[in-house]
Amino acid sequence: MIASTFVDALRFIGDNPGLLLHLTAAHLELSLTALGIALVLALPLGLWLGHRHRGLFLALGVSSVGRALPSLVLIAFMTLTPLGIGFWNNTLALTVLAIPSILTNAYFGIVGVDRDVVEAARGMGLSERQILFRVELPLGLPLVMAGIRIAAIFVIATATIAAIAGGGGLGEIIVDQASYGLSGVIGAALCVSALTLVAAVLLTLLQRAASRRPEPNA
Amino acid sequence: MSILAAGPVIPNFGSGSKCEQTGGWWCTDWLRAHWGDTLQPALVQHIELSLIAVGIGFAIALALALLGFRFAVLDAPFGAFADFLYTIPSLALFQLLVPITGLTVTTVEVALVGYTLLILYRNTVAGLRSVPAEALEAARGMGLTRTQTFLRVELPLAVPAIVAGLRLAAVSTISIATVAALVIPEGLGRPIFVALEQDLFKTEILAAGGLAIALALVADALLVVAQRALTPWSRA
Amino acid sequence: MVRKHTRRAAKAAYAVSLAVAIVIGLIAAGAGAAAPSAAKPTVTIGTKNFTEQYVLGELYKQALEAKGYKVVYKENIGSSELIDTAIKSGKINFYPEYDGVIVTDLAKKPFPKSAAATYAQAKTWEQGRGLTLLNATPFFDSDGFVMLKSTATKNGIKTIADMKKLKSFSYAGFPECKTRITCLLGIKNIYGLKQVKFVPLASISVYTLLDQGKVTAGDGFSTDPQLQTGKYVTLTDTKHIFGFQNVAPVVTKALAGDASLVKIVNAVSAKLTVAAIAAMNKAVGVDKKTPAAVASAFLTANKLK
Repeated sequence: MIASTFVDALRFIGDNPGLLLHLTAAHLELSLTALGIALVLALPLGLWLGHRHRGLFLALGVSSVGRALPSLVLIAFMTLTPLGIGFWNNTLALTVLAIPSILTNAYFGIVGVDRDVVEAARGMGLSERQILFRVELPLGLPLVMAGIRIAAIFVIATATIAAIAGGGGLGEIIVDQASYGLSGVIGAALCVSALTLVAAVLLTLLQRAASRRPEPNA
Repeated sequence: MSILAAGPVIPNFGSGSKCEQTGGWWCTDWLRAHWGDTLQPALVQHIELSLIAVGIGFAIALALALLGFRFAVLDAPFGAFADFLYTIPSLALFQLLVPITGLTVTTVEVALVGYTLLILYRNTVAGLRSVPAEALEAARGMGLTRTQTFLRVELPLAVPAIVAGLRLAAVSTISIATVAALVIPEGLGRPIFVALEQDLFKTEILAAGGLAIALALVADALLVVAQRALTPWSRA
Repeated sequence: MVRKHTRRAAKAAYAVSLAVAIVIGLIAAGAGAAAPSAAKPTVTIGTKNFTEQYVLGELYKQALEAKGYKVVYKENIGSSELIDTAIKSGKINFYPEYDGVIVTDLAKKPFPKSAAATYAQAKTWEQGRGLTLLNATPFFDSDGFVMLKSTATKNGIKTIADMKKLKSFSYAGFPECKTRITCLLGIKNIYGLKQVKFVPLASISVYTLLDQGKVTAGDGFSTDPQLQTGKYVTLTDTKHIFGFQNVAPVVTKALAGDASLVKIVNAVSAKLTVAAIAAMNKAVGVDKKTPAAVASAFLTANKLK
């Protein structure tokens, strides 16, 4: 009986490719917009703070608070803003959720780079900017990329819940059993799980590839 | 019209304050009136759901971690499985379990436990692996048996990593448990959903959401205190 | 001599009393032992997922509990289709339903022409499936085509048919509205308003969407407290697509066999006029009281608890 439910779900997926693709596109649009904004806000800040070895308190604080923010609560809070209930309130919520991982990991990635290497580079006359981009960032890349990867997965997964606040995406089917039936809900749940798994694998591969860059001469 | 067909008596239910009627930002009268029947029960349910999930999750993760630590060949599959579970969006996992365990607390708990496994497993194994070789040498030199070494040296030294894992697991469980209200009407997610339906009643959303955030912060703080208490040597 | 008579008489009287007492005791014990089999059944009440249903659920729950019934309360199961599956599969044995919805959306028959016909058809249909309906309430809660008063006045719209003046418009409703002839299908097919775009409601209420200008119109219910504020209008349903919607508890035949339960439930239903339900909906939706407290106050005031 349970097997038949999952068989029905697969049939739903087969019967509704257009709908599912459309919702997946909306899902990704929301996720990538939020991730993009978070990267613009948090990545430079994290890298710069790490480079200057300042703001440990900020990085730790943002990390603690960020983890304590239940995603549903944040999505609900954002419906109370003038952004309405559609795309932008959810984008804001997801951006806030993505920032902690990106900021903290960028900071710790750069801060953890061997100071001797940095000093040597400074001794060679490289500018601060050159030090950050040619020495610290390549060496700290694994941790920085890990932060981006964690944030991306978190955002794509949480975008599912955004459906209750008008965000659309695959979550729209999952919260709407009355329209799509149990087969639809299970089908969409399988789809969104597959989506996050694929994203996780891709980003892990990307992270590994980026970490295998040859180290610069120090 | 006979007496039997008399209309109903409609009592005065007490009209809400201006704040309540317009769904204001912070209606103190609503908060005072509904702490006992809405917010507190939801908070208690939420704490219960989270405690059970973290408790069971920790027990399972510890067992798996001990096995994975002892038999390194098991580490990869255990880790991969936990990794896989963690990636599935919570809402999807709840719904995937519903055909199997119904619209019950069991469904919610199974999902919550699943999410704690990754964090707790990886942190426990990492903690056990981080024990310095010198400490093990010293233990062997003192003639401790394998079990004694484990209980008196390895486990205590792994405590910081384990508690770090518990902190992460507790906070993330509290967060995911808010979504559980979509499956069963329990936990702090429930007032949030009800408020969303009631023309976005701001006070209720802020109050329930605030409680969830506070709960997570308190749990985190308590575990930090526990960690300091359990590792007196790190304070030296 | 008198004493001897008296003593024997007394002994006899004593013996008879003792015997009678023993017999009564045995009967009582027997009745007590038999009581579990004639005991009150456990009532598992389910409700759908909106305010009026929470109020109705609490009313029936508390009235039954006051008279000694054990009630398991499963609030917030979902729409008609979901909750109907629940009662058919035995997960619940009692839920309050709108009779028009039973006829047109579950039985998929054309909507009847009167409230009485609606109730009769609904009852007959449910009885064919092992369920039945208890008495209907005086109040009816039909869907309504609702929009902001300002929008309606601006476009000179008074009836649903007037909507053909708009080249296109959006209509928000609970997801199940999409496939119902008493809702979107009726708007499209019976009124011929093919230009409608359906917006399904997830958690946000239709009135919030109307206020924020996200939809042109939406599916409201005649007993919604928001409709009492004058900010919204319900367009006239000249073709009666929304039908008649009195509430009647759908119960299993087993529960219906319990005469005392039927009496309690019918007594509650009889008191639920439009005024009563609208007042209770307002107390919960606008004044933010809990459904349990509102139901309790109503039952107490009407001596049903």
